[in-house]
Amino acid sequence: MRVRFRIWRQDNARVKGGFRDYEVDGLNEDMSLLEALDHLNEQLVLRDEKVVAFEYDCREGICGQCGVFVNGRAHGPHANMTTCQLHLRSFADGDTITIEPWRAAAFPVIKDLIVDRSAFDRIIRQGGYISAKTGTAPEANAIPVGKEVADRAMDAAACIGCGACVATCKNSSAALFTAAKINHLNTLPQGKPEQHRRVSDMVQQMEEEGFGHCSFTGACEVECPEGISVANIAEMNARYLKAKLFG
Amino acid sequence: MSLFLRKWMVALTGLFLCIFLVVHLSANCILLLPEAVARGMYNAYSTLLRESPLIKVVAYALYLSIILHVVFALLVTIRNRRAKPTPYAVNHHGENSQWAAQNMGLIGIFILVFIVVHLANFWARIKLGMGEGVGLDAQGYVDVYAVTSSLFHNPYYVAFYSLLMIPLGFHLHHGLKSSLKTLGFYHRSGLRVLARVSLFYALIMSVGFGVIPIIVYFK
Ligand code: HEM
Ligand code: FES
Repeated sequence: MRVRFRIWRQDNARVKGGFRDYEVDGLNEDMSLLEALDHLNEQLVLRDEKVVAFEYDCREGICGQCGVFVNGRAHGPHANMTTCQLHLRSFADGDTITIEPWRAAAFPVIKDLIVDRSAFDRIIRQGGYISAKTGTAPEANAIPVGKEVADRAMDAAACIGCGACVATCKNSSAALFTAAKINHLNTLPQGKPEQHRRVSDMVQQMEEEGFGHCSFTGACEVECPEGISVANIAEMNARYLKAKLFG
Repeated sequence: MSLFLRKWMVALTGLFLCIFLVVHLSANCILLLPEAVARGMYNAYSTLLRESPLIKVVAYALYLSIILHVVFALLVTIRNRRAKPTPYAVNHHGENSQWAAQNMGLIGIFILVFIVVHLANFWARIKLGMGEGVGLDAQGYVDVYAVTSSLFHNPYYVAFYSLLMIPLGFHLHHGLKSSLKTLGFYHRSGLRVLARVSLFYALIMSVGFGVIPIIVYFK
């Protein structure tokens, strides 16, 4: 199988970047997209050219490191999937595959396809945890949590922080990420004591990082590898109002 | 609360305008009645509105809502643009979201043009007394019916009034459901109902406002 990669190359945030085309042959459809990029990089090394910088860790859809914009979609053409789970069988022989880094003012390019997502870390630092010392794992039924509550918390906790929500959003809004992190904890009894401060501080940090407003286009929910619902954003809005009125 | 408040203002004012449109369309339905009945009813109703102190308050709330909606929508849109300074070379957002949701600002500009022309046609003539004078009907009411009817016998105005209800429909379809989510309505099955209600509402409003000029034209 043969494809043409159109890849964004940029040395760092201070210099201009641009697309470069690479014809890559000798691929097969069972390769993942990242393996195809590995293949390209091996050839670039042999030709003494700079390799394409892209990020990954687990390559099994759980760590959230690997996001890039592939042919006009965050994480590629499928809904609810990470880039590392995307295989060449999703493309046709001879296709051009355009790969761009996440685009957002809050995510400056570090190099090529790698962006700096530490804005997310700074949001987490404002309350994406509980401050009580919990020691080792307690007896599971010490604090009863209803099934529905546990499910809702787990659905939000599934966020892997990949940044696809910001990447796909026309406003580069981080509302889905922030809402998932807030609702995960605020839904559970362990998160309740700090719930108001958590939502106020995390939302404030989200705004200070320069992400846009949420327009509820719903694109984030489609591209999110975990399928986290935009209803979480509405819930965050309700929690924010409650925190400001009664917090 | 500042940044959050901006989006809340867009939602609150937008929602108020959505409610206003229901009342407005209901009143416009009088225009569908046979001319003999419609003229009297329509003029009596509009006189009632103009003379009611309550409606005076509501009218000012309405002017203010339009202005605040546009101002805050502009602020929101500017911030959103700044947050995404580099567009993608290839972007298939049609595959993950609705067109209306992606283009509320552009759609809003069409509606703004409509509102300006619409106010010039009616409000400026009837309330501010600008342009051609407005006569009285047989009962002595200001003949707003004649203003409407003559306007909608001009095919250009019929086309303008009817066609611009298409962007309105798109704006309302996304706007109604989005505003409630902005204001914190997050009940899961309620949101599914809301999506259908928004579509229904947008269809009624755009088709309703859109066909009345055409019907009046052929009356
Ligand atoms: C009859 C007139 C109008 C009605 C009923 C209306 C209604 C609404 C509603 C309900 C929303 C949703 C708010 C939210 O998502 O929280 C909205 C959003 C919006 N409106 Fe309007 N609107 C009207 C006119 C206009 C005009 C004249 C403009 C601009 C010139 C405008 C620009 C916008 C924009 C840009 C948004 C989206 C903000 C975002 O990105 O989420 N609207 N409108
Ligand atoms: S590399 Fe871990 S999710 Fe893709």
